[in-house]
Amino acid sequence: MTKIFISGLGNISSLGNTPDVLFDNLEKNKRFFKYYPEWKKFKGLKALVGAPSFPYDVSKVLHRKMRRSMSPMSEMSYLATLQALDQAGICLGDNKPNLHPFKADPHKTLLVLGNTAGSPLFLDTFFRQMIEKEGPEGQLSTSFLKVMNHTIPTNISLALGFSGPLLSPSSACSTSSQAIILASELMKSGLYDMAVVGGADELHPHVVSIFDIVKATSSNYNETPEDIPGPFDEKRDGIVVSEGAGIVILETEKHLTKRKGTPLAEFCSGIYRCSGNHMTQPKASDMADTMTKALELANITPSDIDYINAHGTGTHKGDQEESDAIFQTFKGQTTPVSSLKGHFGHSLAACGAIEVISIIQMMKKKKIIGTRNLKTPPKNSGEIHYLKDQEVKSINYALSNNFAFGGMNTSMVIKGV
Amino acid sequence: MEKADVIEKINHTFIENFEIEPEKLTKETKLFEDLELDSLDAVDMIVHMEQNLGIKVDIQKFSTVRTLDDVYQMAFELYSEKNLQ
Repeated sequence: MTKIFISGLGNISSLGNTPDVLFDNLEKNKRFFKYYPEWKKFKGLKALVGAPSFPYDVSKVLHRKMRRSMSPMSEMSYLATLQALDQAGICLGDNKPNLHPFKADPHKTLLVLGNTAGSPLFLDTFFRQMIEKEGPEGQLSTSFLKVMNHTIPTNISLALGFSGPLLSPSSACSTSSQAIILASELMKSGLYDMAVVGGADELHPHVVSIFDIVKATSSNYNETPEDIPGPFDEKRDGIVVSEGAGIVILETEKHLTKRKGTPLAEFCSGIYRCSGNHMTQPKASDMADTMTKALELANITPSDIDYINAHGTGTHKGDQEESDAIFQTFKGQTTPVSSLKGHFGHSLAACGAIEVISIIQMMKKKKIIGTRNLKTPPKNSGEIHYLKDQEVKSINYALSNNFAFGGMNTSMVIKGV
Repeated sequence: MEKADVIEKINHTFIENFEIEPEKLTKETKLFEDLELDSLDAVDMIVHMEQNLGIKVDIQKFSTVRTLDDVYQMAFELYSEKNLQ
């Protein structure tokens, strides 16, 4: 059986723009949610809080011709990809500054990066102008290149000079976990030796509106975002949308060993399933089935898991169903469970990869981060060990969940090295 | 608007929208060889010229320009024609 290892990590997020800064802020129990009074102009929008990424600037490392087709989601992905490739010591193409002695074989390397939809910022600009001008007059040539669904991987391939296979999965909040799982499956099949995988999304009031429409956003603490209850808390009132990019490098054991690379963690298994049940209403039994299958694929049992990184977005229904699913799957166990979205918000297509990065940082630091602002866990969640603070503990195996609209359920098992 | 004003507006577009260094903007500068512009840039240059000068630029005609002076000349002619009408 082919083993898959993770050898590089990179992120742009609301909690920091490298895995180390991200984890430092997790350890310090930070959150940088922001009140946006200017969003009041959007009629009907109740949520006025978001979590923007830390500042970043690609203009110093990328020529205008590379940047002109990039929206923020591609810019964030590019910077995160550079971090991950630098950590792994891999050069993906021939373009500066991604230069390392080891160059990936483009025939055996896969680029799998996704987003929920094209850039909301430029979707707005593009269609607003089309409607106002009643046609394409005045549209710049690059407008659509920021709006198309595969905008991220195509921009990254261009910026790095990579000419291999490219995929752009899109499944909203499970996008980057699906990207990781999909790439690992293709690698296990023998098609590829390594993959650059992940996802990104931008914070924009239109994106917040999507969740606001279905009453899934936090809106009771707009002016005091520090007080927004954490995921699983009895008083939780919904999602805080954030943004960012999360990128990980996957390599087969053979590839990693041959080039004398350093593994950060083993990617043991992952599974994506649709529930065929409801577009927006998650169902505990489907989530439990996904978790169980991920454990089976990893050839381990619930008692082997040392930490569960929940999807836990802060919605009433979603958190409750996930709680029930964890209880069904881990009955009798005292495995610590936490969601990190109380710290960095919900970065949608990026969250799966950013959470994998956070788990690997926890493994490295031997410290589990609890759910921020979780005071009272749901009463009917059974005997689940919700971690509220931090716990010094070695993690051998961790399970990570991500769920999305459309009944998308994903679970992954990561093992420390 | 005098020709010098048209040139200033076009140069401003090159500097602001195409990040061209001002010292590269001479009459003899070749758009595609010296400034490394491409077909996407040509489309965008037309959009900026139309918006900034209130003119209509035919893409077939624009594809014949080679130097910055060709662009200045074409833009000024189109601007003059429009303002004579």
